Amino acid sequence: MHGRKMWRLALVYLFVIFWSFIVLFPFFWLITTSFKTPIAVARGPLYLPFIDFAPTGEHWEYLFTSQRDTVLRHFRNSLIVALGSTLLAVVLGAMAGYGLSRFRYHWRLTGWRNDGIAFWIISNRFLPPAAFVVPFLILYTTAGLIDTHIGLIIAYTMFNVPFAVWIMRDFFNGLPIDLEESARVDGATRWQAFTRIVLPLSTPGIVAVSIFSFIFSWNEFLYALMLTNYDAITLPVLIAGQNTNRGIEWWFISALTLVAVMPVVLIGLFLERFITRGLMAGAVKG
Amino acid sequence: MAARIVPYTTESSQPKREVNVDQTAAPSGPVGPTRQRRGSLEDRIMKQAFLLPAVILLIALVIFPLLWSLGISFTDIQRGGAARAGPGLLGLGFDLTGGNYARLLRDQRLHIATFNTVFFVFVGVTIQYALGLFLAMVLDQPFKGRNVARVIFLLPMMTTPVAVGYLGRMFFDPARSPIADLLRRVPAMFGAGPIAVPWLTNPDYARWTIVLIESWQWTPFMTLLLLAGLQTIPSQLYEAARVDGATALQVFRSIIFPLLLPISVTAILIRGLEIFKIIDIIVVSTGGGPGSSTESLTMYVFRTALTFGNYGYAAAIAFVLLVLIVVFTTIFLTVARMITLRVN
Repeated sequence: MHGRKMWRLALVYLFVIFWSFIVLFPFFWLITTSFKTPIAVARGPLYLPFIDFAPTGEHWEYLFTSQRDTVLRHFRNSLIVALGSTLLAVVLGAMAGYGLSRFRYHWRLTGWRNDGIAFWIISNRFLPPAAFVVPFLILYTTAGLIDTHIGLIIAYTMFNVPFAVWIMRDFFNGLPIDLEESARVDGATRWQAFTRIVLPLSTPGIVAVSIFSFIFSWNEFLYALMLTNYDAITLPVLIAGQNTNRGIEWWFISALTLVAVMPVVLIGLFLERFITRGLMAGAVKG
Repeated sequence: MAARIVPYTTESSQPKREVNVDQTAAPSGPVGPTRQRRGSLEDRIMKQAFLLPAVILLIALVIFPLLWSLGISFTDIQRGGAARAGPGLLGLGFDLTGGNYARLLRDQRLHIATFNTVFFVFVGVTIQYALGLFLAMVLDQPFKGRNVARVIFLLPMMTTPVAVGYLGRMFFDPARSPIADLLRRVPAMFGAGPIAVPWLTNPDYARWTIVLIESWQWTPFMTLLLLAGLQTIPSQLYEAARVDGATALQVFRSIIFPLLLPISVTAILIRGLEIFKIIDIIVVSTGGGPGSSTESLTMYVFRTALTFGNYGYAAAIAFVLLVLIVVFTTIFLTVARMITLRVN
C-alpha cells in the first residue's frame, strides 16, 4: 500500500512538472530571444545564454532609447483605456449588482424578474464582437470617437459590465443585510448605506471585478484594431503591427511582448486567489 | 445549470452565504428589506437608480447596434458612402437589398471560414476539456507545492492573445524553433531523418496548430473551474467507494463524472462561446493564410468591413456567426440537460 502511494505521488509530480515546463518554457524562450543577436536567432534554436549564445542587451536598449517614446505612448494608451473601463465597470457593476441583490424587479415588457434580468445582462458578455463591427464603425466615425481613449473605454465597458454585475450580485447576495438595516434605522439613506457600509465590505468582489476588467481591456485586440489608427493605439495592436514592418524582428518583438505581458502576468502571480474566486463566482452560478 | 457549489465558503466562510446561494431553486432571488418597506419613495427611486445605468448602457451599446446592424445587412452600404450610380432609396445613398444574404450561399470563402470556426470550437473545446480535467485531477491530489503549481498553470490565461500568437509562430517555425529541433533530434537517435511538419503553411495542419496554440492558453481555464468542482466532492465518497472495492474507472463514472457535470457544462459552454470569437491568435500566427484557408468568421467579418469596406455584407456575415452561436448554445444546453437527467 505504501509503495502504491509513492508511485502515485511520483506520477503526480511527473505530470505537474511536465505541464509546468510546457507553460514556462515559452516564457523562457521569449526572455532569451530578447537577449539574442539577430545572427543568433537566425542560427536556429539556441537554448542557454552564455553557453549557446552570448547575450546582448542591445534590443532592450533600443526599446528604451530610440523607441522609448513610442513604447511609452502605447503603454500609456493601454493603461488609460484599461483603467478607465475598469473604473466604469466597477461602478456600474456594483450598483446594478446591488440593485439585483436587494430589490425585487419585474419588467412587464419581457416578464423578467431578477434572475431573468441578471441572465440577460450576463448573456451580453458572450455576444460576438464581430456583430458590432459595422455599427460601431459607423457610429464612431459619425461621433468622432475613432482613435480616442474615451471611444475604446466605452466599447470595453460594454463587455466588462455584464461580468461585473454578475460577480458583484453574487457577492452582495453573500453579504448579510443586518448591517445595512441597522444603519438605515440609524437614519442613513440607502445610498449612504451602500457607499459606507456595503462597498467597504465588498473589497474582494471589487478586486476580482477590477482584475478581470483590467486584463480583458489590456489584452483586447479586435476593437483596438478597428477603432484606433494612430493616437490611441494600444499595445496588442502595436505588437501585431510588427508583423509587417521590415520582416519579423523576433528579438525586438520578444522584448516588446514582454513589456506588454509583464503587467498582467504580475497580476496573475500575485492576485491568483482573487482570479480563481472571481471565476468561480462567474461560472459556477451559471 | 443548477450548480450548487459554494465558492467563497471554502475560505472566507460567511455563515449567511448559504441563504441565497441556491438562486435557481428559489422562485425569485433577493430577500431584501424592500419586502417590508415597499412604499418608501426613496426606495422606489433608488431601486431604479441602482440598476438603470447599466441597463441603459447595454441597451445603447448592445441592443441598438444589433438591431441597426440587422438593418444594415439588408442594404448595400459601403464605407464612406462609396461610389454608386443613383441616389438610392429616398436619396439616402443606399438601396435595400437581399443580395447580401443571397451572396452568403455561394461565397466559398465564407464556407471555409464557417468550417474553420466550427472546427476550432469543437476540437478546441474537446482538447481543452480532456486535458483540463486530467490536470485538475492531478492538482486535486495532495502534494507539496500545489499552490505554486496552480499559479504557474494559470499564467497562459493572463497572457495577451496577440503575444500568444507570436509565441505560436516562434515555436512552430519549421527551421529555428525548439519543436523543429526536437523533431530533428529524436528521430536522429534512431538514425532517421528529421520529421518536417508544415505546421503553419499547410491549411490542414495550420488548423490544428491554431487549436494547439489556443489550447495552450485556455486549458488552464478548464483546469481551474474543474479543480474547484473536484474540491467540493467530499472525500468520504472516495473512501466509501474504496471500501466497496470500486475500480478507478467506476469511481470516475459514478462519482466524479456526475458530480462534475454541472460545472463541466458551464465551463464547456463558456469556452465554446469564446472560441467562436477567435481572431487575435490567427491574425498573428497564420494571418488567416495560406490564402484565406485558416480564417475564422470574426476575421472574415473584420476584413470585409475594414479592408473591403463592404459594410452591408460584413453585417450579414456577422449574423451568420450570431445564428451559429445561438444554435450551438441551444443544442448544447438541450443535450446537457438530457445527460443531466439521465445521470441523476
